[in-house]
Amino acid sequence: MSGPLLEVRDLAIQFGGLRAVDGVSFVLEQGEILGLLGPNGAGKTVTFNLISGVYKPSSGEIRFAGRRIDGLAPHAIAALGLGRTFQIVKPFTSLTVLENVLVARGVDRYGRAASLWTPWRSRRERDAAMALLERVGLADLAGRKAGLLPLGNLRRLEIARALAVGHKLLLLDESFSGLRHEEIARLEALVRDIRAQGLTVLLIEHNMRVAMGLSDRIVVMEYGRKLAEGSPEAIQQDERVIEAYLGRKGEPHAS
Amino acid sequence: MNGYAVTILTQIAIQAIVVCGLNVIVGYAGQISLGHAAFFGIGAYSAALLSTQGGLSFWAALPLVLAICAACGLLLGLPSLRLKHDFLAITTIGINFVVQAVFLYVPFFGGALGISGIPRVQLFGAALKGTRYLYLCLACLALVVGVSWLFTRVFAGLACFALREDEPAAASMGISPVRFKLLAFMLGTMFAGLGGSLYAHQMRFVSADDFSFPLSVSFLAMLVLGGMGSLAGPLVGALILGALPEVFRPLANFRILFYALILLLMIRFQPGGIFGEASLVRRRLLPRFLGGRS
Amino acid sequence: MHLLLEQILNGLAMGSIYAILTLGLALVYGVMRILHVAHASVYTVGAYAGVVIFHSTGSLALAFLGSMLVCSALGVLIERLVYFPLLKQPPYVPMIASIAVMLTIEELIRLVAGPQILTFDAKLPFPSVDLAGVHLNSTLVAVYVITAAILGFLWYLTTRTEVGLAMRATAQDMPIAGAQGINSHAIVSLTFVIGSAIAAIGGILVGIYYNEVYPTMGAVPAYKTLALIVVGGMGSVWGAVVAAMLLGLAETLLIGYLPVPFPRDALAFVAMIGVLVWRSEGLFGSR
Repeated sequence: MSGPLLEVRDLAIQFGGLRAVDGVSFVLEQGEILGLLGPNGAGKTVTFNLISGVYKPSSGEIRFAGRRIDGLAPHAIAALGLGRTFQIVKPFTSLTVLENVLVARGVDRYGRAASLWTPWRSRRERDAAMALLERVGLADLAGRKAGLLPLGNLRRLEIARALAVGHKLLLLDESFSGLRHEEIARLEALVRDIRAQGLTVLLIEHNMRVAMGLSDRIVVMEYGRKLAEGSPEAIQQDERVIEAYLGRKGEPHAS
Repeated sequence: MNGYAVTILTQIAIQAIVVCGLNVIVGYAGQISLGHAAFFGIGAYSAALLSTQGGLSFWAALPLVLAICAACGLLLGLPSLRLKHDFLAITTIGINFVVQAVFLYVPFFGGALGISGIPRVQLFGAALKGTRYLYLCLACLALVVGVSWLFTRVFAGLACFALREDEPAAASMGISPVRFKLLAFMLGTMFAGLGGSLYAHQMRFVSADDFSFPLSVSFLAMLVLGGMGSLAGPLVGALILGALPEVFRPLANFRILFYALILLLMIRFQPGGIFGEASLVRRRLLPRFLGGRS
Repeated sequence: MHLLLEQILNGLAMGSIYAILTLGLALVYGVMRILHVAHASVYTVGAYAGVVIFHSTGSLALAFLGSMLVCSALGVLIERLVYFPLLKQPPYVPMIASIAVMLTIEELIRLVAGPQILTFDAKLPFPSVDLAGVHLNSTLVAVYVITAAILGFLWYLTTRTEVGLAMRATAQDMPIAGAQGINSHAIVSLTFVIGSAIAAIGGILVGIYYNEVYPTMGAVPAYKTLALIVVGGMGSVWGAVVAAMLLGLAETLLIGYLPVPFPRDALAFVAMIGVLVWRSEGLFGSR
C-alpha cells in the first residue's frame, strides 16, 4: 500500500467559542507507533474523537488508507478497519468477557443485511475471540461478566475488542492509565507484539516512560495545536515541550 | 376448562405477545417505551378495519397489519434517535395520548363508538372460538418467543445488546445506533401488532379507551416484573399481572390497591424482575433445577 | 375584545395553576433526575387534607398549614422509602415505582374518603377586582397572588440563600456537591419538602377554584406536567413555569376559538412533540 495509512491535515474543531483542535496536521505511516502527547486539555482525545468519527471537524481533512473519513459516522469508520479504546473504559457490563469480544468480531457483519442474521455463537467465532483473549491474557476470564472485572483487566478487554475491529489501525486512548507496574510491562509487550504483526498504532499516553519507550515518533500538542514532532529523543530535549509540561500544573509522570 | 378461564388465559397469552415486543425494544435494545399500548391499538384497529371495511380474512390481513405496525414503529422510533432517556420516556407517553386522540377524533376510526362487528378468525372453514382460539393465540405466542430466541442468537440481536450496554462503544465496533434502534422498534411493534390483531378478533370490538396510557404502564410493569431481557420474563410477567386482578376479584374494592402494592414492592425490592440478572429466582432456585449454569 | 381579555386572564390563571403543579416536579427532577409522577397524588392528598381540615375547623389558614405539613411529610417518605434506594437502577425503575406509588395513594384515598366528589366552597381572603371591564373573582386573584408569591419565594431561595445555592449545586452535579461538603441527601429531602408543600397549596387552590375534590384529580395533571417539564427543558425550573403559562393560555384560547373538537388534554403532548422536534433539549434546556 502506498502512501501513509492515516493523514490528518489542518484538522480543526470548534466548541462554542473554543477551538479545541486548531489546525493540526500529521501523518502516520503503516507499521508505525505514533505517540500523541501533550498536557491536559491539549486536545488529544478530541483529536482521537475526530479521527474515529465521534466528532465532525469544523474544517480540515482526515484520510485513512487513502480515503476521506472526516464526517463519517463512527460505525462506518470502524468498518474500515479502525479500532479504538476509550479513556474511560466502556465494557458491555452484563455480557461476559468473551461476548464482549464477540460483539467486536461482528464488525464486518453489522453493515450488511444478509450477515446480520447469522448466528454469533458459532465455533469459528468463539475460537477467533478466544485467540484474541489469549493475546491480551484474559482467556481464563472468558466466562466472567465484564462488569465484575478490575480496571487492569478492563483495559485489556478494551484492547482485545479494538484488536478485533482494527485490523489496520489501532487508536489507544490512555490504555496504561491506572495500571500497576506488572500490568504496564505486560501491556507494553502486547503493543510491541501487535506492531510486529503488522498493525499501526496511534496512542495517547500520559505515562512518559511508556510513551517514549513505545513510540517510533511523537507528536506533541498544546492548546489544540501541534507544538512539536519528532523522535522520542528529539522531543525529550525540545525546549518548548519541556516548558509546556513543566511550566504549568501537572508534571510528567515520573519514570 | 370453563369458559371464563379460557377467556382470561387468552387475554394473558395476547398480552404476553405484546410484552414480548416490548422486551425487544426495552430489554434487548435498551430503549424506553411507555407508549407500547399505542402499537397494540394500531394493530387492533388495522385488523378491525381491514376485516370489516376491507373484507379481508384474519390471515390475509395479517401481513398488512404487521407492515403497518412496523412502519409506525419506524416512524415513532425516530424520536429515540435524538432523545435520551427521560425525554424519550415522556415522548413515548405523549405518543400514547396522541394516537389515542387520533382514534377518538378522526371519524375514519369510528370515533367514540369504535369499530364493531369484527368477524371471528376462520381456519379450514370453521370459526375459531373459545379453546380453539386460545390455541391459536398460544401458537402465535410460541412463534413470537421463537423469533425472540432466534433474534438473541444472531448478530442483529448481539448488536442490540451492545447498544443497550454502551452506545459509543458499540458504535466503535461498527454498530450503527440508528439502524439497530429502528430495527428493534420495528420488531417490537410488529409483535404488538400481532397481539392487537388477535385482540380485535377475540373481542370483536375495539375502541380508543382500550389503548390508553395505563395499559402501556401495565405492559412495562409486566416486563419489569418478569425480568426484562429474558425469554421467560414477558410470559411470567403477563401471567402474574394478568392473573392477579382475577385472583383478587373476591377482594373487589381492594383489587387495584393490591395490584399497585405488589407492583411497588416488586419494583422496589427486586427491580431486575423475577428472571432478571440478580434476582432471587435466578440465584437460588434456577441453579437447583438446572445444576449450576445460570 | 372584552371576551378575549377574559379568556386571557382565565388562561393565565390556568397557567399559574399548572406552574404551581409543575414546580415541584421540576425541582425534584433537578436534584434527582427522577420523574416523580407520584407528585400528582401528593397534590391530591393536599386537596383532601385541605378540604377536611377546612370543614372541621372552618379555618382556611389552618387548612393550608396542615395540608402543607402532611404533604411535606408524604413527599419525604416517598423519597426516602422508594426513590433513594432505587437511585442506582436504570431510570425507568424509579418511574414505574412512582406510577405504582401514585396508584397506591389514589386507591387509598378512594377507599378511605370514598369516590364521590367533595365540595370545597371556601372563600379566599382576597378582594375581587375589576380590570378593564372584566370581573376577576377573589379566587382568580388569589391564584395570581399566591403563584407570584411562590415564584418570588423560590427565586429568593435559590439565588439569595446558601440553602438555595446548595440546591443548585446538587442539581448540577451531586457527587461534586457532596465533595464540597454539601449533604446531598439532606438537600434532596429538603427539595421534596418544598416541592410537596407547593403541591399542597396547588391542590387546595384547584379544589377551591373548581369547587371539586376527588380521588383521581391528579391523573391528568400528572402527565401534563411531565410534558411541561420536557417543553421547558428538563433541568430548567423557570422554563417549566413559562411552558406552564403558555399551555394554560393555549388550552383556554384554543377551546374558545377552535371550531374542531380537539382533545384539550392531548394539546400538551402535541406541543411537546412539536417543541422537541425543533429543539431536542426543550425551550430552555441546556445540553
